[in-house]
Amino acid sequence: MNYGFAIDTRSCIGCHACSTACKSENGVALGVSRTWVKYTEEGQYPDVSRHFQVTRCNHCANPPCVTICPVTAMYQRDDGIVEFDSDLCIGCKGCMQACPYDSIHIDPDTNTAAKCHYCAHRVEVGREPACVVVCPTHAIISGDMEDPNSEISHVLAKNATTVRKPEKMTSPNLFYIDGAEVSLRPTATPPSDGMMYTDVVRDYAEQVIDRPMQQGPRVAEQMVQVAYNAHHKVPWHWPVPAYLVTKGIGAGLFLLMATGIVFDLFTVSHKELAIGGGIAIAMLALTTIFLIVDLERPERFFRILLRPQMKSWITRGAFILVTFTHVAGAWWALELATWLGWIEPTLIDQLRLPMAIITLPLGVATAIYTAFIFAQCEGRDLWQTPLLPAHLMVQALMIGSAAVLTFSAFFEPGLISAATSVFTVALVIDLFMILTGEFGMKHSTDTAAAAAHDITHGRYKNMFWGGAILLGHIVPFVLIMVGGSTLAVVASIAALIGLYQYEYAFVMAPQHVPNS
Amino acid sequence: MTSDSTKNPSCMPSYSTTDDDVDKFTDIKHPDGRMSSYPHPSKWDNFVEYDGKEWPRKVARKYSLIPTICFNCESACGLLAYVDKETFDIRKFEGNPVHPGSRGRNCAKGPATHNQIYDPERILYPLKRVGKRGEGKWKRISWETATSEIAEKMRVSRAKRRDGIMYHVGRPGEDHYTNRIITAWGVDGHNSHTNICSAAARSGYFLWAAGDRPSPDHANAKCILLVSSHLETGHYFNPHAQRIMEAKMNGAKIITFDPRFSNTAAKSDIWLPTWPGSETTLLLAVANHLIQNDLYNREFMERWVDWKTFLRDGAASLEGGGLKDDQKAALKEALAGDDFDAFDRALKILYRDYTFERAAAESQVPIERIIETAKHVAEAGNQVAAHVWRSAAMGNRGGWQVARCLFFIGALTGSIGTKGGTSLNSWNKFVPKPYKKPPAFNAWQKMHMPHEWPFAMYEMSFLLPHFLEEGRGDIDVYFSRVYNPMWINPDGFMWLKALRNEEKMKCHIALTPTWNESAWFADYVLPMGHSGERHDLMSQETHSGMWIGFRQPVRRVAMERAGKKIKYTYEANVGEVWEENEFWVELTGKMDPDGSLGIRKWVESNERPGELVSQDEYWSWIFEHSVPGLPEAAEKEGLTALGYMRKYGCFEVAESNYLPYEAEVELKDGEVEGDDETVRNEKGERIATVVDGIPRKGFATPSGKLEFFTKTLRDWGWSELENLVPWDLKSHVHPSNIDREAGEMILLPNFRLPTLIHTRSANCKWLYEISHKNPVWMNPIDAVRIGVKTGDLLRVETEIGWFIDLVWVTEGIKPGIIAMSHHLGRWRLQDNAGGPPGMTALAELNEDGAGGHSLKLLSQGRAWKSEDPDTSRIWWKDVGVHQNLTHAVQPDPISGHHCWLQRAISVRKAKPEEKHGQVFVDTNKSMDIYKKWHALTRSAVDHSPDGTRRPYWLKRPLKPVREAYKLPTDPFGRSKKD
Repeated sequence: MNYGFAIDTRSCIGCHACSTACKSENGVALGVSRTWVKYTEEGQYPDVSRHFQVTRCNHCANPPCVTICPVTAMYQRDDGIVEFDSDLCIGCKGCMQACPYDSIHIDPDTNTAAKCHYCAHRVEVGREPACVVVCPTHAIISGDMEDPNSEISHVLAKNATTVRKPEKMTSPNLFYIDGAEVSLRPTATPPSDGMMYTDVVRDYAEQVIDRPMQQGPRVAEQMVQVAYNAHHKVPWHWPVPAYLVTKGIGAGLFLLMATGIVFDLFTVSHKELAIGGGIAIAMLALTTIFLIVDLERPERFFRILLRPQMKSWITRGAFILVTFTHVAGAWWALELATWLGWIEPTLIDQLRLPMAIITLPLGVATAIYTAFIFAQCEGRDLWQTPLLPAHLMVQALMIGSAAVLTFSAFFEPGLISAATSVFTVALVIDLFMILTGEFGMKHSTDTAAAAAHDITHGRYKNMFWGGAILLGHIVPFVLIMVGGSTLAVVASIAALIGLYQYEYAFVMAPQHVPNS
Repeated sequence: MTSDSTKNPSCMPSYSTTDDDVDKFTDIKHPDGRMSSYPHPSKWDNFVEYDGKEWPRKVARKYSLIPTICFNCESACGLLAYVDKETFDIRKFEGNPVHPGSRGRNCAKGPATHNQIYDPERILYPLKRVGKRGEGKWKRISWETATSEIAEKMRVSRAKRRDGIMYHVGRPGEDHYTNRIITAWGVDGHNSHTNICSAAARSGYFLWAAGDRPSPDHANAKCILLVSSHLETGHYFNPHAQRIMEAKMNGAKIITFDPRFSNTAAKSDIWLPTWPGSETTLLLAVANHLIQNDLYNREFMERWVDWKTFLRDGAASLEGGGLKDDQKAALKEALAGDDFDAFDRALKILYRDYTFERAAAESQVPIERIIETAKHVAEAGNQVAAHVWRSAAMGNRGGWQVARCLFFIGALTGSIGTKGGTSLNSWNKFVPKPYKKPPAFNAWQKMHMPHEWPFAMYEMSFLLPHFLEEGRGDIDVYFSRVYNPMWINPDGFMWLKALRNEEKMKCHIALTPTWNESAWFADYVLPMGHSGERHDLMSQETHSGMWIGFRQPVRRVAMERAGKKIKYTYEANVGEVWEENEFWVELTGKMDPDGSLGIRKWVESNERPGELVSQDEYWSWIFEHSVPGLPEAAEKEGLTALGYMRKYGCFEVAESNYLPYEAEVELKDGEVEGDDETVRNEKGERIATVVDGIPRKGFATPSGKLEFFTKTLRDWGWSELENLVPWDLKSHVHPSNIDREAGEMILLPNFRLPTLIHTRSANCKWLYEISHKNPVWMNPIDAVRIGVKTGDLLRVETEIGWFIDLVWVTEGIKPGIIAMSHHLGRWRLQDNAGGPPGMTALAELNEDGAGGHSLKLLSQGRAWKSEDPDTSRIWWKDVGVHQNLTHAVQPDPISGHHCWLQRAISVRKAKPEEKHGQVFVDTNKSMDIYKKWHALTRSAVDHSPDGTRRPYWLKRPLKPVREAYKLPTDPFGRSKKD
């Protein structure tokens, strides 16, 4: 069995019956939609077209939302339906980032992910989905695509079809007959200050490309605009960039100290490890708090560990973070106890090198695993950059060493000097990587380009140029070059603030690019 | 108050669970390869399914599936209410699969019925005003008090006069019940919204065929001509859209006339963006193409069009219409003949100047599209389905001629009543007779049908405030019913004046399911049910068949099935929401408690002498006696006829009814053909039309045939040719009346959205979420000229005032025209009452004492806390602009219809101090414009050929006795010596 939808846009009249029937059948709250009818308009009077596109979950054969879900709340049934279970969901919103189609939302009744579930509760007993039944023109066709006698099999055999974003390799099981490119591809239409009969709400995902409107001399003598679409809230906010920064500090600090110990580059005292490790552990604790704060169901946090879905990098990351925090934490505890004189130094003398050796790869994993979560967020093309693991690594070292400089009063010259060197080099490399990422490489897709444009030329341009580049890199670099411990403290704080601004723009911008 | 324990104390629904197995369809195979859509009716009384909201938890619920019909437009589509077997709350509404019109499918408004029932802001109990009118102070009263007090006022009025009670209806939603009650009262009390809706098109159809409106057989058509937007709105949106798209998928061509690129236009093969008022010229160019090239159906025309009258009387009616001298001379010569060839020659001369070039120039539509239209029409044979309902007919002065010209295409192609053609509504609509019928009344409400508009198709309802202002009369008891007259009618501030005037509008009772701006100024606000909360019987001409649909109070039906005793429907509905049917019976009974007025007997039971009739008794009688085939169908299932209708909610009376006018009529002895090809009885009433020597049913026109030439208009003073045959009449927004150089534009103020219920959607959260604002559509050419872009504020000035709204720039509108949907811009005067805060704007009304009125929005739509968590999630702000206040009244001098298109005398970017939603109107100008249009009329006082007020054969919703037609001795506005 393999259920799919065929949407016959030739007979769809854009009446929105499917939308309200779905709200009714599934008790869907205001503000979110499991299915909606997108309207686009194009042409020039009197040669105008308006396209109606029933838009919803594609029930992909290869669903990225299922892969990223850390707790199997989003899952694929044997009959092809991509289903969700609100009783399991922790509200991490990873699926919303993974879906390239804006098909998933947070249900405000349960604060868990929800979407079209193919009316599985009806289909399971042999009854068509509510939207199919209500449709006045039978433009929505459902059924088993593996049954040669089903209506959908006949329809798909007879008609050429298209799907949304085939390049995402998700293999949608929703097929459009006579689909219109301007509707299928969200970046084909410019932003709008309003729609035909609906408000456009700010702070929701919306197109940001600075393109001329159809005003004045018409763009290529052509109107292309969205006349109706459903809104989608941005899933992740400040806790995510904040988590990136605190995690970077935690991992970077330990990496710096462990590197010095393992490769015998500089000495690190028990006191330095107790204080540096303390800062790092505090940052890792904060990291966990940010992660939990961002969950829609924070009280379900432990499910990530108790019923893990191991293909998800959110799960893997959680395990990495937890392992690292515990290993590094144990090391730190021993160093602290030794410094305070609670235990004899002999123990730590034996354990220090092995602890540092174990901490090193765990620290690297902690620094970079988020890149693989971002890679699973297939709805955010800008995050799909192959540079990201390296980038996160450099950033961790940069802000880990920055933290040493910030608190240099507590550290010895050996560590400070190492931190200064690492910080300076990392600043340069990071700046180089940022600028290469933004300008040196062609963005892989139109949505990635749109998000990057928003960072460098759009709503985040001040944050990017003023915050990330100037305050976060150029100012600290200059201060370090000038030299002096006070200036180094200022430089390190500037770099920390700048990095947060960079991460904020990097996390937020792709979420504003509509996927539908 | 009832203490029924089954009632949910809050109006929010609750549902029970069951351990019973869910019903399965997996073994059922359908020949079309689909899964099952609906449970079989045999399962309806006890159906178990999983709740989708709880899924994947397998929460099963047990329902009674009770059919009803939708109340959210006039299509009367079937609905199935899923009524919880324990709590009797309604979980959802789906379609009714056995309903012949809607066939189990619905538009967005069908499922949204659920919102209306569980609307946290709905009026749950009868209210009586305690403060001043419009002050917003109310007290809850019992139905007993409400009916007693109102009945007393009606009794006093009726004893005094026969025009003191007025029932002003927006949505009728039923076919005969209320009209029968009003007739029983013996007053001329029926007032409708029809003259702001469809009366102009109805006029055109009526003058041709004595039919009220068309019934296109879209499903079987080859060419579908729409001067309408039936793929998104209208009578009958969902049933018609299904069939139009079915035809399109089978190769039919769809051609749509509309200056706005509607969704319908978007799905059409040809979009004809006509300059308003030029539709007639374009249609006549198509007609002329058929005529000049002998592509018309000569046989049909010869047999069924009354061409003889034209040959006989036409020569004397060649003034007007812009005929050239040589044309007149040639016509006179042709009209001297007496056979169809002469008529053919006359047609060719008459329409010769309606060329494609002229049509293209006047309509400003690419000529290729017009030529292609003509080609498709010519190739469709007698399968041209055509429809105009509101659109250009209601927009323009002379708009009734749009229907005349469109019908002319039907006649020329012989598509009248054919398979795939266009029938008359009465051929596909079935209105069964009730158990007893009160006689026609002898009364004439001069504010309904004033002498100035003898051809008014319906009541001159939208001029009521102007008539009151002029001193034409007053009203003792005014019922507004599912109607918001102050909001929807043009010139709303005149309505505000009228509704506030306790001298002239002595008692106003608002029968409404929900708050509206007019009800705020009522004396009683009585909550009446939505679909699923009331009894109504309806039939609509949705296709070539014929059916009846039964609206039911579904909670009551489910409770009664469960053995509960219920006397009045309000005991079963949420709060004490009632239904009009029972209310009318109680009210009418109390109005004449001892029967002395002769009224009470009409609401008394046949079976229980002296007792008032119950709904069960009323409908049982009808279903048993007046619906052919129904008792037999019921018997087959072992049901009573009422039981059958309660179970299925509908009955198909006929599968199809083509060419009924051809039916042969058996004559009785002594009945013979007269000299006018008709057979008449001794009273002079036509009983058959003789065609091919055989008496046939024919048409209900004076000639018994289709009237190409309207002799009645000529006889009543409209003697110019342009009024008498299908012709183009110059619109008030003709290009010569719109100074585009000076920045004037046309405001097309009343297009409709597929999601909204006129102005009554504010209690439908799912509908408002999709559509809540009405920006001004504008072509980029105009936007550049004016210097605005999408989202900017615009000031639009009409002849009587101005309003401020946002712009929506689109290529989907003709340059020179701006358009707004008519649903939105609802407001309330108190923050905590009078409308849902998420769907209405808090507003302030002001007057300057010199006729100037203004509306200012104090806040936009917002979220609010209620029992329904969804109200706190409202995310939109703009809830539209109430533009109708600024519309001048523009009564067509013939059809009496309000001509909706407004001259926008200035359209410019708003200044910073001009705020969104602001409206200003000078009511002095309102009266001036009214008088200007009034001056165009030709009064029956001056033109009646027989001393009557109105041609008797014309329709009136409730026809008085003939005696009442006599012109009064003191017509309003004429001194005695006249």
